[in-house]
Amino acid sequence: MAKMVYRDAVRKTIFQEMERDENVVVLGEDIVGGMGTAGGPEAIGGIWSTSTGFYDAFGPDRVIDTPISESAIVGAAGGLALTGKRPIAELMFADFIGVSLDQIWNQIAKFRYMFGGKSKCPAIIRMVYGAGFNAAAQHSQSVHQILTGMPGLKVVMPSTPGDVVGLLREAIREDDPVIFLEHKALYGLSGEVSDDPDFTIPFAHARLARAGEDVTIVATGMMVGLAEKTADTLAEDGIGCDVIDLRTTSPLDEEAVLDSVEATGRLVVVDEAPPRCSLATDIVALASNKAFASLKAPPQMVTAPHTPVPFARELESAYLPDPGKIEAAVRKALDYR
Amino acid sequence: MARLRAFTMPKWGIEMTEGTIAEWQVKEGEDFAKGDTICSIETAKITNEVDAEYGAKVRRVIAEAGAELPVGALLAVFDDGADASEDEVEAFIANFKPAGGGDAKPAPKESAPEPETEPQASAPKERVKIDTNRPISPEALKLAEEEGVDIAGIEGSGRGGRITYQDVHQAIRGPNTAKPKGTTVLPEEDAIFASPLARRIAALHDIDLSSLSGTGPRGRISKKDVLAKMPDEDGAGTAGAPFRLVANEADIVPFDKIRKVVAKRLTTAKQDIPHFYLRISVNADPMLDMRKAANLVLGCKASVNDFIVMAAARALARHPDVNVQLHGDEVHRFAHADVSVAVASPKGLVTPIVRQANRMRIDQIANATKGLIEKAKEGTLGYEDMDGGTFTVSNLGMFGIENFDAIINPPQGAILAVGGSNRVPVETADGGIAFENRISFTLSVDHRAIDGATGAQFLQTFKMMLEDPEQLFG
Repeated sequence: MAKMVYRDAVRKTIFQEMERDENVVVLGEDIVGGMGTAGGPEAIGGIWSTSTGFYDAFGPDRVIDTPISESAIVGAAGGLALTGKRPIAELMFADFIGVSLDQIWNQIAKFRYMFGGKSKCPAIIRMVYGAGFNAAAQHSQSVHQILTGMPGLKVVMPSTPGDVVGLLREAIREDDPVIFLEHKALYGLSGEVSDDPDFTIPFAHARLARAGEDVTIVATGMMVGLAEKTADTLAEDGIGCDVIDLRTTSPLDEEAVLDSVEATGRLVVVDEAPPRCSLATDIVALASNKAFASLKAPPQMVTAPHTPVPFARELESAYLPDPGKIEAAVRKALDYR
Repeated sequence: MARLRAFTMPKWGIEMTEGTIAEWQVKEGEDFAKGDTICSIETAKITNEVDAEYGAKVRRVIAEAGAELPVGALLAVFDDGADASEDEVEAFIANFKPAGGGDAKPAPKESAPEPETEPQASAPKERVKIDTNRPISPEALKLAEEEGVDIAGIEGSGRGGRITYQDVHQAIRGPNTAKPKGTTVLPEEDAIFASPLARRIAALHDIDLSSLSGTGPRGRISKKDVLAKMPDEDGAGTAGAPFRLVANEADIVPFDKIRKVVAKRLTTAKQDIPHFYLRISVNADPMLDMRKAANLVLGCKASVNDFIVMAAARALARHPDVNVQLHGDEVHRFAHADVSVAVASPKGLVTPIVRQANRMRIDQIANATKGLIEKAKEGTLGYEDMDGGTFTVSNLGMFGIENFDAIINPPQGAILAVGGSNRVPVETADGGIAFENRISFTLSVDHRAIDGATGAQFLQTFKMMLEDPEQLFG
């Protein structure tokens, strides 16, 4: 096991897979270097530095700088995928999926289905999402609830460097389109990653991050760490929390959620997105629907409010779920009878 | 501030529609404290004292003692502020509307004097008016007013802090006082794909996940797969493991022909035949000695049961009134004993017949019985083997049964149930103690055909035969 930060886990996994399979190509804004540079030492490898060094290693046929047009990037990825390549497209900010929604929602998500299974679309759309960086309302959103609701897409939200490696490799080797959501605030997160070049984590395989008998906390991506921190605080009071990291929101590991809720009887869902029609409501509905008899308290949701992400730092931190809010929700669930 | 409260006819149980005031314990103008007895009320079933749920002053007694009034009727007006004007009291009485049923204000005493007390209606709290500017749902407000809940301390969970019905309900019930169970050991996630709970159960029961093959997608091991490998599949459980129910599905075995007949006959027998039972205990030692000698001399392998069949057959020949069948109003008496021997065959209980056992030597009985048992086990018994017995011997002694009561095998008149041989202490002639093997017999008798004395005499002869087995060879 090697120690690695989240950003490097992304970069190294893609690099390894590009070495392994020549059909893997990457494309996106500035992933070579931007500003007209053609690689070399000044190439920044995208604003998130997740493709640094790719251009030198794989050349212009496999590392493609694109115009600032999400619709062009996703459309090109879909076309590449249909013609036998395994494209990995990078959207700088997930917030801009709006302009590429037709390509994502009406095209790549449906190719295999509409062509009766005769085509496959192994495209990965990597997106950077999430608030906490004072990046304002158009650069801070969590979009997974929109994408999770689209049949035909697989939506992955890794929370640790180790999971990035296993899930991204699985995504690259997967024959269906995958939305791979990376949280800005996690890029610097350090963690252990597998050395096995074939280590993959199957989709719909949730991770139990903490084990406890009193409350089930379900989270994804950035929220997992907050939930773990809360669980550690509560453990000092003798309160045990199951923290379930869903890893993928579609397909969803229903079994992991339901089994845990059956054991604890209490559910708290933590989600960075606003609450309406969200992952949080979906998980709560799942528990209410299939584990109603096990519930000892109304399921709690810790989400952002139903408002755009604020720009002001103080408002942004008030907007986001935090361990204090999660702890309050856990205690509320525990106090209920 | 004055708070007028109505005291109404309580409803104790769903059948109570009206009650009678037996006696008032409080008078108009008097104060009473919480717990004081207010009055006693008679119903069709009980008389109960009604204790005050709160302290107040009696402002008006509406119903006099002896008055019979429907449930919910106004009996008195109390004032727990003690400063309402007479006009206010009048207005309160004028505005009072009896609630439909169950409007009892103070609850009756918990310990009712009569055992047949119906479940008592729970007493709703006094309704209070809540004056608030806080957002609250109509149902929540109604509940808070009915229960007298102070909403100032409630944090609303609705939009904009709106207080919901659930918030008020939770405030009434108070926080959960159960202790949290705490954290558990987190099993390592390794390369084997197993759901979190599967991993935890496996760790708890020391099951090696690598020994399992999962049934989930890509071979993922689920809870179900681990449970299938649990060592306590029978539900008994390893130490510390929680008891787990397993499927308990019936293995449906339809009656075959033999069991149908047996079931029908035995049901008829037990329902229609007036059974009575005679019990006797026999010293088996002489018979056991004789058995050894006879087997040596005759070169056969006669069983204890064969000797019992033989003794019964000989006794029956001497007591033909027991060797009978009952057909309608007729008793058919037989000179010779065709003894049915109850045999547990794979297809159920069968009773093949040793014909004219009273005329047979022990080795002949042994051979006949052996043949019948073999046929029973092979399922080749014919109608002729089973039809027409005059008496049955049923032996469960080999299973350690001490004694039992058998059901008569119609149309026969009696059946002999044979218990096991027990070594017991007995008093000897000189007052000492000796041990002997004793067998307990129970004769079930059809009283329509056989009287008690007749059965007893038969048993006497039977006992004598076994205790002096020389006679069997006479």
